[in-house]
Order: sequence, then structure tokens, then C-alpha cells
Amino acid sequence: MKKIILSLIIVTASMIAFAQKKTSTSATVAFDATTSLDNLAKAENKTAIAAIDPSKNTVQFEAAIKNFAFANPKIQEHFNQKSWLNSDEFPKATFSGVITNPSAINFNKDGTYNVTVEGDLTIKGKTQKVKAPGTIVVAGKTLKTSASFNIKLVDFGVEGQPITAGKVSAEPKISVSAELN
Amino acid sequence: MLKNPKNKKVLKWLLVAGGSLSLIGFIVYFYFATLSHEDTASLKADYTVEAIPFIKEFEKDHKAANKKYAEKIIAVKGIVTTIEPADTTMNIKMTDTTTGSYLIFAFQDQHMAEAKKLKPGENVLIKGSCSDGIYSEILGTYFISFKRSTVEKKIL
Repeated sequence: MKKIILSLIIVTASMIAFAQKKTSTSATVAFDATTSLDNLAKAENKTAIAAIDPSKNTVQFEAAIKNFAFANPKIQEHFNQKSWLNSDEFPKATFSGVITNPSAINFNKDGTYNVTVEGDLTIKGKTQKVKAPGTIVVAGKTLKTSASFNIKLVDFGVEGQPITAGKVSAEPKISVSAELN
Repeated sequence: MLKNPKNKKVLKWLLVAGGSLSLIGFIVYFYFATLSHEDTASLKADYTVEAIPFIKEFEKDHKAANKKYAEKIIAVKGIVTTIEPADTTMNIKMTDTTTGSYLIFAFQDQHMAEAKKLKPGENVLIKGSCSDGIYSEILGTYFISFKRSTVEKKIL
């Protein structure tokens, strides 16, 4: 009897522990707006914040715009300037959404799960609905996530001659990945 | 028309001018397209600071702190609290354990190896390009991000 009670306590405690919000402060958000004419407009931010709450099936991301690192300093300068991302006024990009197929994942069982995430993406002060397929790998107490999707820059008030000239993609690819504990 | 020597001369000059302009355009494009960031190790720090008082400056007035430090080269003395995997690389954190606010350093490729040798608890001087300090709605703390960082030295 004692063994059963002890087992129940351990199982309950581990389930409560896993139900708590998982976070990462080293999530990676990659931005790729390269085209066949120009391969300079791509960058990575490796210090984004990510959170998944298994009890609510919520997914959140925050990324500092100025910490997107471009190989080319001139492109980085353009990316942050007022007519583009205006990072002085809008210093971060955020995503807040939910897993729309929560029955597809068991946070208490190791495995690789295909999920769909839908929510609000805010860039440069403009919010748009985004829906993307992603993968969550449950490995013990760690979650590894990855997803990628395309956005339309014009939806976020980002326009300019390099886009119309075909040097910067009008619909760049955004890739996110994180290891959450 | 080209039988006229005067027209031939004009055409010749037009071709030379067009070719020269194209060459200048190509050189300018090539110059900007191949620009790269300098090695942070070779750059002089604009400020040398202690980690915790530096974090406190952002907590007190992040707008003023950003105006002073954003996009500047900062050398930070502090204790490594966490080493986190970031995709195929890793980041170093210095955290103010009283508030949870933290500094986070992403490293320049050529300095990743020396950063990987660091351990939590070590006292170090890290130099990097300070992006900015932002309040995280997710964590309820400030985070100050650095890019292209390099380990200056371990402090004994």
C-alpha cells in the first residue's frame, strides 16, 4: 500500500513539474529574405525568449530586433533603420499563440509530435494572425521545438525599393527553434 | 550615320562612359556586398562595466541606458551564471539573481571555441556589441542582449 501511495505521489509530482511553463532564453529565430538577385538579407537572433505552457497549450516568443546578427554591417544598419524595422521605436518582435491540435501531443511521453500553432505575430507594432506547422520533441523534461513559416513584409508596414527591385524577398522565411527546460 | 567621323567619336565616348559607369557601379556594389563586421577582439570598448550595476542601470531607466549603450562595444566583468545551447552554438548569461534580469552574450564564430571553455561560476571579462535592453513580458525581467561577443579574459 505504501509503495502504491509513494508511486502515486512521484507520478503526480512529475506531472505537476512537467505541467509548468517551459522556457528558453536562447531560442533561435532566423530571418531569410534572400532572393536569386541578392543573398545578403538573412540574419539570426540566438537570444530570443521562448515559452510553452503544457497545461494551457500556449506558445510564446520574444526577440530583440537589434540582436538579429547579419554578416554584412550595412544590411544590419538598413534592417534597423526607421523605414524598415524601426528598432528604436519597436525594439522587439513577439508571438503569442496556441497549439491548435493539442490532442496530437503527449507532454508526459517522450516522442516527436507534429503540431500546428496559431497566434498573433507582432512586428513593427503591427499584429497579424499566423498559422504554422511545427515539431515538438519531448525528451524527458526538455522540449525541443522547431517551426518555419513565411510572412508578407507589407503586412507589417515594411516596404521599399530593395523589395520592388527583387533584392529582398517580399515574403521572407522565418524559422524558429528552441530547447526549453 | 556611323560613316560620319563625328558620330563615330560620340559613339566611342558613349561606350567608354557607359563602360566606366558600369565598372564603378560594380565596384561600389562589390564593396558594400562584401563588407563584414570587424573582429570584436580588435575593437576598443566604449565602456567597461560590472555586470550587476550595468543590469541595474537598465532596470532603473532602460530608455536612458539604451541611449547610452545600444550598438556600442561594451566590456563586461561578471560571473558566468548559465551556459545555454543555442541551435548549434551556445550563449553565456550573467544573471542578477535578486531580480532575474540578465545579460546574454552570443559569440562571434571565431571566438566560439574559447567561449565553450567557460564554466558557470567563473569570473570573466566579455566584450561584445550591446544590442539593447528590453523588458520581457514572458519572463517579467529585463534582458540585455549582446552579439559578436568575445572572451577578453578570465579573472582570477
